[in-house]
Amino acid sequence: MMGQNQILPLWLDPRTKILLLLLCVLSAMAAPSLQYEFLLVAGIGILGILCGKWKYALKGIVFYAMVYLFTVWAMNSMTGTLRNMFVAFLGLFHKVFPCGMLSGIVISTTKVSEFLSAMNHIHAPKKLIIPLAVMLRYIPTIGEDWRYIKDAMRMRDVSPSFQGFITNPGITIDCVYVPLMMAASKAADELSVAAVTRGIENPNPRTCLIQIRLGAGDAFTTLCFAAFFLAGMYLKEAG
Amino acid sequence: MLELRNVSFSYSGQTDGGLRSISLRIPNGECVLLCGRSGCGKTTVTRLINGLIPNFYPGTLEGEVLLDGKPIAEIPMYQIAGRVGSVFQNPRTQFFNVDTDSEIAFGIENKALPPIELSRRVKLTSKELGIEGLQNRNIFQLSGGEKQKIAFASVYAMNPDVYLLDEPSSNLDMASIRALGDYVRLIKSQGKTILIAEHRLYYLMEVADRIVYLEQGEIAGSYTPREFCKLSGSERRKMGLRAIDLREESPECPAALQSGLTLELKDISLFHKKRIILEHISLKARQGEVIGVAGYNGAGKTTFSRALCGLHKECSGSFLWNDEPMNHKKRLRLSYLVMQDVNYQLFAESVEAECTFGIKNPDRELTKQTMEELGLLSFRKRHPNTLSGGQKQRVAAAVSLISGKELLIFDEPTSGLDYDSMAQVGGLILTLAALGKIVFVVTHDYEFICRTCTRVLHFNRGKMQDDFLVSTENETKLRNLFSIDL
Repeated sequence: MMGQNQILPLWLDPRTKILLLLLCVLSAMAAPSLQYEFLLVAGIGILGILCGKWKYALKGIVFYAMVYLFTVWAMNSMTGTLRNMFVAFLGLFHKVFPCGMLSGIVISTTKVSEFLSAMNHIHAPKKLIIPLAVMLRYIPTIGEDWRYIKDAMRMRDVSPSFQGFITNPGITIDCVYVPLMMAASKAADELSVAAVTRGIENPNPRTCLIQIRLGAGDAFTTLCFAAFFLAGMYLKEAG
Repeated sequence: MLELRNVSFSYSGQTDGGLRSISLRIPNGECVLLCGRSGCGKTTVTRLINGLIPNFYPGTLEGEVLLDGKPIAEIPMYQIAGRVGSVFQNPRTQFFNVDTDSEIAFGIENKALPPIELSRRVKLTSKELGIEGLQNRNIFQLSGGEKQKIAFASVYAMNPDVYLLDEPSSNLDMASIRALGDYVRLIKSQGKTILIAEHRLYYLMEVADRIVYLEQGEIAGSYTPREFCKLSGSERRKMGLRAIDLREESPECPAALQSGLTLELKDISLFHKKRIILEHISLKARQGEVIGVAGYNGAGKTTFSRALCGLHKECSGSFLWNDEPMNHKKRLRLSYLVMQDVNYQLFAESVEAECTFGIKNPDRELTKQTMEELGLLSFRKRHPNTLSGGQKQRVAAAVSLISGKELLIFDEPTSGLDYDSMAQVGGLILTLAALGKIVFVVTHDYEFICRTCTRVLHFNRGKMQDDFLVSTENETKLRNLFSIDL
């Protein structure tokens, strides 16, 4: 059943979510240490659990913890070029992962209608909002497309797995890329048409069935993330 | 009042679907049915009226399209949206929200109605369309028919004067088509102007006031329903039109050659995440049989076909091919599923390359022979994406023959097809059967089953309710299955 039926501990306004994403990027950039980044990921995980995405959040934390342990091990026991290579790659990974994880939570918990009315509140131009809304709506369809594509690949004896990609990269890319592109361009067109014929371009401010408003939860979460970012800045200066 | 005055249109960079000097007046409250072959321009007519031409689809437009005497080109899109509501073919890509309530409210939210009015209208709409049971649900978990109801509700909530329906029944089962017919009657009783572009005609015969037949972008005929029903079967088929009255269709029972190898299913049960989808299915099939798989959306037809070709693994019981048990890997090697949206299974840059895609040492002679048998030789250098839907199905079928598959499954091969294309798909399937393949066809299309299938399986309520031959003796059974009154 729908997420709407469950009473979630935390509901965030889309505006807050965008602010959180920004703070998360800044924190990841400023991160003074590996422990700090781990705390950031844990914080995002808690946010995810509160927003009702506990499976996703737990998977994210466990995966990150494994990479974290590997990183600690690599820093201590590897030497030479191999170490440099891994440290460079992992450094990038540690910067990107928290932002990616938070984006996942934000996208999966934001309804298109909430997003549209939030954007209206901050007077964002329609030319920007509509493509973003189509994109936000398109993301869950990729999952459906991917299931069909996997079936199609299996029937052609192409394995839709990482191993298959390694052994036969050219064919695997063709099998995923070609149908996904075709489906995407068609879906984007049809979605836009469905939106335009129902008056999405109306310049008057849009109303929303579900009233969005900034509440205590928004203020508290923003404060936590802001404080965390400032702490990071301070530690970096001090360290 | 809608009026098209001497309108000609051609899409930029495309020859199909254009219009030539169309003149059409639709007074308020009239219900007009547009029909004709694929590419005859019926969708284009609807796009002229909801403003998608010229606002969304570029091209050269001559003549005038008037809505209550005012040129549509001069009205901004969002204002047209308030007066002309559109429902489209594909339920998957018509909704914008994840939950049903927000989706029904989408149009009226854009109209900026006050929030109290929004929830009042959503409630009223759900009540009047009888979809209270769908309120507050995740749209991704609805069936195609339910999605289409929500799409209709979203337009209905906006209360437009004009409704445009563009092939709304293409992806629906029989029950959903009947519900759609009821909706059309409801809006007609409210005095709305209705324009429907459709291939399936039978469900609209009682509600349409006028039937306009388009041919190559021109109006080639305009009929009252009575005149239209007088057209003989052969005249209608010559016009490329589907059945007007399903009661006149009866099984043609093509003779199955029924020989050789057999497929046997012994007490198969299918599960999805440990939940039972279908149970205790046992059947035997011989080479050359064409077996229709019927039942409502959600009855497990898709899961059944995926299990048959080894894509769905959660099943118990045994599949035997010539008395030899087959696990899912063996089934995958032996069978091929032609998907409803065949675009997912075409990967290469030409038909020829597609036919041998992924095969290490392709048999050139076999490839050429197969392409010839399926009438693809003249397209062999074309990119698969430039082909029509029916031709793409042919390519997929060719692929299956070249890779030596014995068991072919077609998922809804006739959705959204005109008479000619349906007949061609039928021809293709009969060719495959004559080559000794066992063909399963998942379909809601009674007319198609009558013409093509030798046997029908009926799934309902988690069981295979029936398994019978398509023959004159079983006609009543077949009609009951599709709820066609005698």
